[in-house]
Amino acid sequence: MSTTSQKHRDFVGEPMGDKPVIALSGIGETLGKKLEEQGFDKAFVVLGQFLLLKKDTEMFTDWLKDATGANSRQAGSCAQCLKEWCDAFL
Amino acid sequence: MASAQLTDEELFSQLKRLGFTPGPVTENTRPVYLKKLKKLREEQQQRGSRVLKSRASTAVSTAVSIAAPRPSRHDVTQLSAIRKPGRKSSVLGFSSDESDAETPLKRKGLAKHRRITVYHQQLAGPTDKQNIAGTTLNSFSSPLDHQSVHESSRHYDESGDEGEEEPENPHSVNGREVTGLNKTAGEYSDSDEDGVLSPGDRERNLPEPRRSRTAAPISPSDNRDSQVKGKNSSPNPPGFRKMVRAEDEEVNGEELDPFGGSQRYARKSIYVSLAEQRGAKAGKNHFDSEDGAARSNSGARFSVGLRPRFSGYSSPAQTHNKGNHSNHSPPPNHAYSPTAPKKKLSVPEDELLLQFRREEPASSGSFSAHYLSMFLLTTACLFFLLLGLMYLRMRGSVEADGVIKRHPFGSEFDQSYAEEEKELILTLLLSLHNHLAVVAGQHDCGDPQHPNRSLSMNQSATYLQAQNQEFERFTLVALEWIIRTDQELGLRLLGEDPHVPVTDVSEISQLESTRPRMPFTCRLRKAFVTVGSKVLLVAAAAAMVWGVVRYLKFRWRRQEEETRQMYDMVERIIDVLRTHGEACQENQDLLPYLPIPHVRDSLVLPQDRKKMKKIWGRAVCFLSANESRIRTETQRIGGADFLVWRWIQPSLSCDKANPMPSKVWQGQAFPLDRRNSPPNSLTPCLKIRNMFDPVMEVGENWDLAIHEAILEKCSDNDGIVHIAVDKNSREGCVYVKCLTAEHSGKAFKALHGSWFDGKLVTVKYLRLDRYHQRFPQAQACSTPLKASSLRLSSTPSQQQTSSAS
Repeated sequence: MSTTSQKHRDFVGEPMGDKPVIALSGIGETLGKKLEEQGFDKAFVVLGQFLLLKKDTEMFTDWLKDATGANSRQAGSCAQCLKEWCDAFL
Repeated sequence: MASAQLTDEELFSQLKRLGFTPGPVTENTRPVYLKKLKKLREEQQQRGSRVLKSRASTAVSTAVSIAAPRPSRHDVTQLSAIRKPGRKSSVLGFSSDESDAETPLKRKGLAKHRRITVYHQQLAGPTDKQNIAGTTLNSFSSPLDHQSVHESSRHYDESGDEGEEEPENPHSVNGREVTGLNKTAGEYSDSDEDGVLSPGDRERNLPEPRRSRTAAPISPSDNRDSQVKGKNSSPNPPGFRKMVRAEDEEVNGEELDPFGGSQRYARKSIYVSLAEQRGAKAGKNHFDSEDGAARSNSGARFSVGLRPRFSGYSSPAQTHNKGNHSNHSPPPNHAYSPTAPKKKLSVPEDELLLQFRREEPASSGSFSAHYLSMFLLTTACLFFLLLGLMYLRMRGSVEADGVIKRHPFGSEFDQSYAEEEKELILTLLLSLHNHLAVVAGQHDCGDPQHPNRSLSMNQSATYLQAQNQEFERFTLVALEWIIRTDQELGLRLLGEDPHVPVTDVSEISQLESTRPRMPFTCRLRKAFVTVGSKVLLVAAAAAMVWGVVRYLKFRWRRQEEETRQMYDMVERIIDVLRTHGEACQENQDLLPYLPIPHVRDSLVLPQDRKKMKKIWGRAVCFLSANESRIRTETQRIGGADFLVWRWIQPSLSCDKANPMPSKVWQGQAFPLDRRNSPPNSLTPCLKIRNMFDPVMEVGENWDLAIHEAILEKCSDNDGIVHIAVDKNSREGCVYVKCLTAEHSGKAFKALHGSWFDGKLVTVKYLRLDRYHQRFPQAQACSTPLKASSLRLSSTPSQQQTSSAS
């Protein structure tokens, strides 16, 4: 609880359901828009990508950086968020 | 290699060959994997070049041969066919020969060895086919071979996608990526060759060379494989492939060549990669190749079972790979090996691996260090031993008086006698002296032959005469000289009366030596005895001192404990009296005093009464002496006289106010819902923060109060088995262990977000193993703790009532 943001905790605390992609930790308006343009309009689609990369945070971070121009912090935060979500619910 | 040329499958197999198990390659994941492939190749190249430098190329040839037999699945049918059997045989044929070669290689050790051995085996096996490859490989520097073998073994593991490399037979290659054989042989040779040849050679993009190298269809794959760092000793093909891959990787520097063209490239890359990667990447490559090979080859040669082994081996072997690669590899390997692995190969592989594994730890740089230390130790011991012996001997040996050479009699002696007379006299004295010394020594040692320490004149004379006839003349003269001299010669002349110094020769009746010469053993024994007794004395003294110190400490501690108990008792008495006093105020019917025995009996449990007698007595004395609010008096109650205590109501009621801030639970700060607490309790261990401030805590047992508070708060939860208050933590941490996760979840809900003593408490889950590491005593706890029922002091209502006097 010490180093995670509220958004992170919000996301990881419950099944994501139909949450939009901006509910992911590290994804704000800009990045969210970019993701949506590529077809990742919901958080679960991004989850799908994460799972496709075999839940490898590094690869996912790379992908996210390439796909949206996210910086390391944002991408890492998103990866971590998804990873924890998977640990909790998958 | 241009990404455009890579189909998804190629990319996939390439990655696998490098030991990395990718997820499905889709339009989205493609760029990521391409980047990854590039990175892996670069690493391989680095490793390969390093490896090359270090190893001989024999491995290469072997690799080649091995590669040849390994049918890189896609290739040449016959080759593959041959390879298969070859491979098996090669694997079986592998003995620990390779291991010897491998031993010096301290890289990833196990995998490497395996690979090389497997490699060699493979080479040994289907030689015919491999010859082609062999020749090609051989053409490369032989030193490379060796190295490449090593490397290829390493690469074995990595080579996964041999097929990928073959542009010529994209399908076959792809299909047969796995065949380790290619990889192994090719890899070996390739890597070695590459290493030796250096990048320049890589340019051999011709399929032929590769083919020749790999001896057969495998070659293309081999090329690929060569890139693989080293084939795991496991499946031959994988190894080979790895080499190929290693090569490839090396070449990767210049953009993945088209796989087809990369044949030579693959080969070279193998070498190079072997050489280069031997270093840092060895581990990685190992892993990669292993994985890759495993994956691709899985079908082909090695049983899936091997793969996990390799993975296992690789992991211990230091792999530079990213952890995730390694992690991913094993599982995918299984997944990807489409064809049924050759089980037969797995068995010898396993054994080989085991062999290597054991050898690996044995051979290491520390080998010589160990011996060196032992050597130094023994040298030091010997030195000291010798020193001791020499010392003893020196002590023991009575130094030759040197009478012969120099005498203590002064120049007068010299002048009076002629040379030979002088010599005679001196010799006489010397022998007399020695004899007396021996006698004395033996006497001192308890030898029954010599009851007397000294010799009488007659005995001495007889002895001297026995020595030398000439002595007779000079006996008296010599003795006279001795008397005359002032120096201590080691001879003592005793007269009738031992205490009177002898002044004349005629008075001499006994001769004694002052420097007894004892036999060596006797001396040694005496030395030991002396030393031992002294040491014992010292030890005894130290032990006594230590015993005294311990006793004193014990006494002191016990006294402290008693005092504490006394004060505790005093406090309880005061409380009882106070409450009684208050009750009396409200209820005038009660007597305002309490008999002392009654108080005692109500405070002290029956079984403790005897024990607490002393403490009770002290408490009573203390109260009567120091407590002003209680008066001791004698009253008659029910016809009997009692010593009673009367509580004197103080005018101020602030006395009752608790000096300590009340440790109470003061409510919940926020409702616990899914947002701010984990949905399910994860572990049975909790860490509670912000329960106290260690700086501000006063009193001795505030941590017990904390225990109590927690237990009371979770009074409905009977699953708490261990509580530990970290007194030194600035955050005020308390660790709690519950029976099950469910109990801890309940406790979490009860505690998290509550206000305690003005502080907001937060709770989080801890891992059970960490908890046990920290509190090993908690492992044994299994009985739920209950709040002690004395006082529910941490619930607000009670506090208030108690403070309201």
